[in-house]
Amino acid sequence: MSTQRAEAQVADRSVQLAPPLIQMQGIVKVYPPNVLALDDATVSFADGEIHALVGENGAGKSTLMKVLYGLVHHDRGEIRYRGRPVRFRSPGEAIAAGIGMVHQEILLINEYTVWENIVLGAEPVDRLGRIDRKRARGEVQAIIDRFHFALDPDAIVADISVAARQKVEILKLLYRDVSVLILDEPTAVLTPQEIPQLFAELRELRNEGHTILFISHRLEEVLELAERVTVLRKGRVVATLPAAQTTRSELAALMVGREVLFSSRRTPQAPGDVVFAVEGLRYEDEHGRVRLKDVHLQVRAGELVGVAGVEGNGQLELVNAITGLLQPTAGTLRVAGVDLTHAPILERRRYIAYVPQDRGRMGGSLAASVVENAIMTHHRLNPRLTRWKGLLLDRKAAHRFTDALAQRFNVSMPARAAPLRALSGGNQQKVILGRELLLECPFILLDQPTRGLDVGSIEYVHDQMLAMRRAGRGLLMISANLEEIFLLADRIVVLHRGEIVADLPVEQATVEQIGRYMLEGKA
Amino acid sequence: MNILTGLLNGAISGATPILLAALGGAFTFYAGVFNIAMEGMMLMAAFCAVWGSFTFGSWLAGVLLAILGALALALIFIVFAVWLDTDEFVTGIALNLFTLGATTYLLRQSFGVKGVFAGPGIDPIPRLHLPLLADVPLLGAVLSGQNLMVYAAALATLISAFLVFRTRFGLRLRAAGYNAASLDSSGVSSARMRVYSLLLCGVLCGLAGAFLSLGYVTLFSENMSAGRGWISLAAIILVNGNPWGVAIISLLFGFADVLGLLLQSYQVPSQFTAMTPYLATLAALYLYARRHRKERSYVNR
Amino acid sequence: MARVLNAALGVLIALALGALIMLAQGYDPLASYAALFQFSLGSPYALATTFKNAVPLVLTGLSAAIAFASGPVNLGQPGQLLMGALAATIAGLYLDLPPLVMIPTLALLAMAAGALWSGLAALLRQAFGMSEFIVTLMLNIVADYFTLWAITYPFKDAAAYSPMTPPIATSGWLPEFGDWNSAVFWMLAATALMWFLLARTRPGYEWRIGGQNSLFARLGGCPVDRNFILVMLLTGALAGLAGGLLIMGGPHRFLRGLGANYAWDGVMIAIVANNSLPGVLAYGLFFAAIQTGALGMELITAVPSEIVLVLQGALVLVIVASREALHQLADRLAARRQAQRRAKQAPFLESVEQP
Repeated sequence: MSTQRAEAQVADRSVQLAPPLIQMQGIVKVYPPNVLALDDATVSFADGEIHALVGENGAGKSTLMKVLYGLVHHDRGEIRYRGRPVRFRSPGEAIAAGIGMVHQEILLINEYTVWENIVLGAEPVDRLGRIDRKRARGEVQAIIDRFHFALDPDAIVADISVAARQKVEILKLLYRDVSVLILDEPTAVLTPQEIPQLFAELRELRNEGHTILFISHRLEEVLELAERVTVLRKGRVVATLPAAQTTRSELAALMVGREVLFSSRRTPQAPGDVVFAVEGLRYEDEHGRVRLKDVHLQVRAGELVGVAGVEGNGQLELVNAITGLLQPTAGTLRVAGVDLTHAPILERRRYIAYVPQDRGRMGGSLAASVVENAIMTHHRLNPRLTRWKGLLLDRKAAHRFTDALAQRFNVSMPARAAPLRALSGGNQQKVILGRELLLECPFILLDQPTRGLDVGSIEYVHDQMLAMRRAGRGLLMISANLEEIFLLADRIVVLHRGEIVADLPVEQATVEQIGRYMLEGKA
Repeated sequence: MNILTGLLNGAISGATPILLAALGGAFTFYAGVFNIAMEGMMLMAAFCAVWGSFTFGSWLAGVLLAILGALALALIFIVFAVWLDTDEFVTGIALNLFTLGATTYLLRQSFGVKGVFAGPGIDPIPRLHLPLLADVPLLGAVLSGQNLMVYAAALATLISAFLVFRTRFGLRLRAAGYNAASLDSSGVSSARMRVYSLLLCGVLCGLAGAFLSLGYVTLFSENMSAGRGWISLAAIILVNGNPWGVAIISLLFGFADVLGLLLQSYQVPSQFTAMTPYLATLAALYLYARRHRKERSYVNR
Repeated sequence: MARVLNAALGVLIALALGALIMLAQGYDPLASYAALFQFSLGSPYALATTFKNAVPLVLTGLSAAIAFASGPVNLGQPGQLLMGALAATIAGLYLDLPPLVMIPTLALLAMAAGALWSGLAALLRQAFGMSEFIVTLMLNIVADYFTLWAITYPFKDAAAYSPMTPPIATSGWLPEFGDWNSAVFWMLAATALMWFLLARTRPGYEWRIGGQNSLFARLGGCPVDRNFILVMLLTGALAGLAGGLLIMGGPHRFLRGLGANYAWDGVMIAIVANNSLPGVLAYGLFFAAIQTGALGMELITAVPSEIVLVLQGALVLVIVASREALHQLADRLAARRQAQRRAKQAPFLESVEQP
């Protein structure tokens, strides 16, 4: 089915629930200097509905909602709320008008208690400006009870689970008496088992008369929860549909502008020798908390192992122990038969290619040129890039190397000398991926390699990973996206509280089962 | 007894300017501003205090002008670092350099002297005799008869601790430093909290500077803040901004100051005794670093 | 191009600000500026003096710029300069070798002393995790008092009334060629060498990347801890060299208050030059010109020479602010233009993707 036809049909089916509570018309937002995030987006939301916004990364879902919430200011277009034109200059104004938003990255003060977080910005005070703690705590307890959220108002936010933090965010808005709740990818940080409870809570809120707008890219959830679905693509609203009259594949087609496949992309292949092995890996942090507990993990040549787990269950520590950023308390690390347990980072990099999750923080220097980003590590390991016993950089060789990398990995860049920052996210990732793959290491460590990329770049990265698998490298991928793991991995390993609680061939695993391991551990 | 009270009095005088400036810096610390302009604010205030006191013949005018002078610098900081989003470190350094130049020029321009301006025309901040406290045995000579600004510093410590930990303002101030995005999303502008913190810092550094040139001594000399702004920054870092902690650390630095004077009577050259507060700062940083070493053992420094 | 524009704008605004101050105080700004530049650039002798005065500014500027660009916040140039000057002085008092050996020896000792002082801060950072930022500041004041003690007691010129040392052996004096002191040659050579080191060599590359993103450099296999120490030592040596050349090229003895004039100039120059080394040379010469011309200006138009300090401070503020502000302004304008363009192209309600 072609996209245009899909959209034409869509138009016929849209139902008008009159009168709309919120109307956003012709919204244009350009992030300086030239990123067009919203391109004439028009959408309306009805009073008391659950309305989902779906779209690929970078489609403009979050930006559209941030515009409504006054956190981002649109350049063009009009917003009408309860029939009147509005333009919130800050979230404070939006909240005062009854619109609140829970962000994808949970925005709470980790150092504060639950009640302090909930009242922040709307604190009950006495004449001296002193916070009336008793009253504040009482009100928070009352609202927790009213909505049946199991939370301790005196707990420090840093100590509670991600799901609980999300509840705090929602309560923070309910405390302010908002009638419109915006949730940005609320399920992204939850395990499959935690999601039904959130949905039940959201339905209850809707039944109490709240309007709920929620952003997601998980289509099955959207169809389960929402009454209407709006699809965004490249900053434009391409359709608004009743959830009951659409399907997952139709939404997917609208999202990406073409048909997509939901199946594994691997070809069967017999794995070779063990190239990567950690044994008995244990790490205790400075407070004596055990972050990694007796981790055994092997990756064979031609095998791609996916590490699943709720974020903060030891993934960071595992990656850092492999790259050498931290020294484990116990255990060994061997790559290609070489003991790297105590090796300095440079020595490790002869055997380990590493694609980190954060391009600007670990993968490269955004201020440095493409060339300078491309030759990192190679400048130490590849003698052709330097002269004079490695002391002088060979500029010409560096340029040739960069050009070769750009050509092989389809990097589009304004110039070699342009700062990495000037490239799109996908092209930045290609530079980093290319640099690491060109190291020709037997083992490749990938930490969230597609986070924040557009769909085309994700496919490209996946293709390269699969090519490396075919070429007989061992790959270890940490991903928060179960779909990605099921798509690519031969084996799935689940980390729970620093421990490997499952290690299964992908054929024997189901999403539900992995989700249970992620949440509950071995059990 | 006399030696002890003398010691304590000396320590308190030495501690007062550091305490006042550090309390100001504590507000910006909590608000998440990397503010290193205390040195400049104090220096500007010290000059304005002497100018005001000399011109109007009143210490009160001196103190008010000192506050205004430091506030002017705080305003420049706000314009640059909060509104124009200039790097805070660079802005702070630039402000300190600007102040050093401006006060030296103004000293020459206003009084026609180089280096130092002193004279009977400068009205110092008076000492305050508290009749009841003076009668307290042993401590009476310390509790009463101190410079007015010493009491102001004690009061400022109390008020700061109250503001930071008990009030709505404090909750929002600390929130701005912990997670500005969270505060913004709560409907409170974190930029505004940073502005408030800088203004408070201006006022307190104004008092610190006024004490330097109208209390500690009664004169203005080039660069007379002499690194006290940096010492107060160290004090803030050592106790994570806690006003009570700041008070204790400042007193310790005050003792280091007195210790230097004491050593002088044992034939130690004055150049070495004058180093003691700075060496004490290094020692304190060493102890702090040792305590926190493990926490920063890995990842991005 | 934008950088040059920004610099020119900053200099003009700062000069205009100075002119306003002069006007407000009843001086003639045009005549004053004319005198200022007459006495700094107007004659071969003035020009040579400006270049000579630029030596400590440029060297401490290089020191600060290299440190900031590579990560370490070395604010210790004043102290390192003083220690370098003291080392050169002491050696010059007790050694007397042929000039060809003497001059490099004194220069090396000055560099070693500066590196020792910055190395102390580097050591405290590496061994105990003490922030080099405050440590170098504290060491500045310690160095200040320490050198004052040294010239007051052990190395004092018995014939002098105020603290100062006797002159160093004449074999350690930097030769002069006409009006030109050979310290200028050292300055130019150091700038060229440092530029090459940073732009063309592997250590320079690793330092710069480490300064931009230390975690990336570490993961890429660069020895960031060792590089930190190397940069601290090198930048300390540069500041120490500034001190040594100051003694060898100028008064030939350590006078009280020697370092005070240069205390923060290096940091200031590095900041306005945004850590670019050619920029350091340019701004170092500019600062030296206005400092050199200031005394002449005071002579002619009675404007206190200290106004130069105000000019310098204002220049730093203006350039730093305009650098950021111009950047943001350009971004915002570009965004607005694009939004308008999009709005014209795409009328409401059209939701089908363009071909």
